[in-house]
Amino acid sequence: MRYTEFTPFDLWLLAQGLGVTVGLFLVTSLIGVAIGVLWGVVRFYRVPVLMQVITFVAEVLKNSPVLVQLFLVFFGFPAFFKLNMTPVNAAIITLSLNTAAFVYVIAVSSIESIGRDQVEAARVFGLSRWQVLRHVIAPQAMAFSIGPLTALLVNQLQVTSLISVIGVMDLSKIGANLNLRTLKPFIVWTAVGILYYLAAKLVATLGAKLEKRLRAHSAFRGL
Amino acid sequence: MRLDLTILAPHLGFLAEGALLTAQVCALALIGSVVLGMLVAIARTSQRKWLNRLAFAYVDLFRNVPFIVQLFFFYYGLPEIGIYIDAFTTGVVALSISGGAYASDAIRAGILAIDDGIIEAAEVSGLSQGTTFTRIVLPIALRTSIRPLGSVLINMILTSSILSTITLNELTGNAKIVASDTFRPFEVYVVLLVVYASLTYLVSLGITLLHRWLNRDMQEQVN
Repeated sequence: MRYTEFTPFDLWLLAQGLGVTVGLFLVTSLIGVAIGVLWGVVRFYRVPVLMQVITFVAEVLKNSPVLVQLFLVFFGFPAFFKLNMTPVNAAIITLSLNTAAFVYVIAVSSIESIGRDQVEAARVFGLSRWQVLRHVIAPQAMAFSIGPLTALLVNQLQVTSLISVIGVMDLSKIGANLNLRTLKPFIVWTAVGILYYLAAKLVATLGAKLEKRLRAHSAFRGL
Repeated sequence: MRLDLTILAPHLGFLAEGALLTAQVCALALIGSVVLGMLVAIARTSQRKWLNRLAFAYVDLFRNVPFIVQLFFFYYGLPEIGIYIDAFTTGVVALSISGGAYASDAIRAGILAIDDGIIEAAEVSGLSQGTTFTRIVLPIALRTSIRPLGSVLINMILTSSILSTITLNELTGNAKIVASDTFRPFEVYVVLLVVYASLTYLVSLGITLLHRWLNRDMQEQVN
């Protein structure tokens, strides 16, 4: 016998799914931003070989479907390297690297947005390359990059829905399960959609607030 | 542990079939999303408040809900209200609707970028509002927004891989079958990654050429 009605427990299931989605989103975003910024720094120092490798990897990651990357990591890696891979690990590896590739582009363009004259002036004052990056470029680049970064993260939040395909119990997978049990697709997918929408709006709002704070020093004060 | 690509040779025809289906889906969805995007862009730039709000709600909604949720909503939901369409049509419709949200933003930016003088000149010449729009505003807007529309198309090619989850056997769907036939998922998905990356690279090259050709009269004369 199949129980086709909605129960209060379904709400708890949805909340659990939302928790998994948000949790994985936060973890992969943090790792992705860290790796992406690191790649950006490597480019700033113009490390030979490594720079070209990073550019190539980032280009491939940006220009291929996340679903295929996910399949490669989840099905391909265990078969080729003979290792164990849980769906959650595969999801974390794929989403982090994918986020990193896009963060790399933002990092490079925000480092380049700082005028050469500032860097030259700082160098003349005797600051090392690292000090220039730390005290001159980083604070300004951060304010510059928050806008594109927020847009990227809103997008990456939606990309996390793909991990349901390899069996991670995230919001989409819970939705699929509820849909199979109740056979009420309109209600189920509308509820799931609303939850994703609210989460995306929350990320966008937080990003806008942070941007306002980081840009406070250059805000227009009025006449 | 050895990367042996020759095992893929007997399956190349099968993969090519999938690629052809991907191309068909994307071509149809591109037409659909540009038409939809044009209508929504018109609504968003119109003087009527309610039309404006409606168009904004559409764009906001479809940009902030994951594509896979939209796809399941249509695929499982439509039969519920008595509309039976196959996976191919569902895929094209879902891609067009979500692509339309992105395309409308590109076209809207193109419309807003038009110099007021051009519209005033058309008014002074006695053209009706409709003629001004179809003969003056739209051609200019579409021409300037070719590049962003190109990135909408590239995104669409990548997103179309998700259609494999509703049993549509396009490139990714067929690759999944080949992977389970040959037990060599690593080779299959690595090749697939490269194929998608080169496909989108070729498309972006084509877009650049098209953009240059359409805007040839605006190029500065070089001696």
